[in-house]
Amino acid sequence: MWNAVWKDWANYPSEWSLIHKMKKTFFRLRRELSPWPRLPGGAHFAACHFCDTLHEAEPLAEGKAALCRCCGEVLYQNRPASLARVTAFSLTALILMVVVNLFPFLVMDGAGIRTTLNLVSGAKALVASGSPLLGIALALFTIVTPLVLASGLLYVCGPLLFGKIAPGATHVAKWLNRMEPWNMIEVFLLGVLVSLLKLDKVADVNFGIGFWAFGVVMLCMAAAVSGIDRDELWDRLEVARK
Amino acid sequence: MSDRFPRAIELGLAGCQTCGKVSRLVLGRCPRCDSKLFMRKPDSVRRTVAFMLAAAALYVPANVLPMMSMIEMGVVTENTITGGIIYFWQGEAYPIALVILTASIIIPLLKMVALTWLCLAASGKIKPTPGTLSRIYWLTEMMGRWSMVDIFVVGILVALVQLGNYMTVSPGPGALAFAGVVVLTMFAAISFDPRLLWDRFNALQIDSSPSKEIDS
Ligand SMILES: [Zn+2]
Ligand SMILES: [Zn+2]
Repeated sequence: MWNAVWKDWANYPSEWSLIHKMKKTFFRLRRELSPWPRLPGGAHFAACHFCDTLHEAEPLAEGKAALCRCCGEVLYQNRPASLARVTAFSLTALILMVVVNLFPFLVMDGAGIRTTLNLVSGAKALVASGSPLLGIALALFTIVTPLVLASGLLYVCGPLLFGKIAPGATHVAKWLNRMEPWNMIEVFLLGVLVSLLKLDKVADVNFGIGFWAFGVVMLCMAAAVSGIDRDELWDRLEVARK
Repeated sequence: MSDRFPRAIELGLAGCQTCGKVSRLVLGRCPRCDSKLFMRKPDSVRRTVAFMLAAAALYVPANVLPMMSMIEMGVVTENTITGGIIYFWQGEAYPIALVILTASIIIPLLKMVALTWLCLAASGKIKPTPGTLSRIYWLTEMMGRWSMVDIFVVGILVALVQLGNYMTVSPGPGALAFAGVVVLTMFAAISFDPRLLWDRFNALQIDSSPSKEIDS
């Protein structure tokens, strides 16, 4: 019923440019929510990355996964509203990362001194205390990779939402896959928890806003990374490029 | 033979490692993403073994050398990984002791054992059972990163505990060695190609298939 009401209203002639724009955007988004596009040409194949068994890549309904008929591994899956989801979650993660870097993770009161920890200060302290390699590793796994991953996903999927392809998007997409294992937000959060317990007897340690914000970043990143299947992303890129 | 599903390698087709598109290997490069096409990850077993040997060599100093040293009122205490676990265990913080034990000792060891097993199976030294082995591979791929937790704890403590004369924490050489172990085992898992296991498995099946046909 709402669909009919909306259509009626949307077809109403109006000079309000804002409403026109909203209308256009809405229909573009609805087009995006349409299924995973089929590649032009005849049959397409998918090879299982575990056992190399060849399959004809059949289109899937949203929320369904295609399994390998030989070893049972997932070949590809059609995530519901994939592009919208990835865009929304990676944008949220990026905004929250600013919050994470503005507020402390842990606040410690001990020996009359208050010390706070945030992501950058952790890496800096390691470099300053004579372990530049460890500092770089910490910065790479908890700041650089999540940041690049989230902005890369946004850069590739945002324009695709409107059927467009960003310049150099294929190169960015190539790197997204390779970076994924090096995003260690959740491991760092476990590290924060362990440190809190370790310092429990020494001083009064409390979680800061940064910790909770980083927890949400972790959830958003997990949702963004798993929001679109690799095959779907590349099929969409291929269709948009033509 | 007829009951087996066709595999890409038998038709000269290669699935792109980057984008998943299946194209003919003779093209050289993937028509969709321009990555180099390989039938199997190049030098897969040899690279995995090399990364693993390096990791195993670093595993010893990672456990023997101190992860960090605490200077409390002028007294220096050096903490190794095992020392940290014992500290939590004695303090009756069993869950956290178990977490560190799993992340810092069990996972790296299991990962090295699992990768050795996978490499032996892929090079035909032991009988490949692809069903279980691919589960093991999947586990090694997923679990490796969690070992990094101890390194992060060192980083956090170093940043946080700078209380002048009262107490300071500085990183030890063991932390760098341990970070090396984690990164190297991750590279080892990334360079391994599970399809090699199925190549071996299928080769064995083809060898034994004539006798099966006589039986039936
Ligand atoms: Zn398979
Ligand atoms: Zn490709």
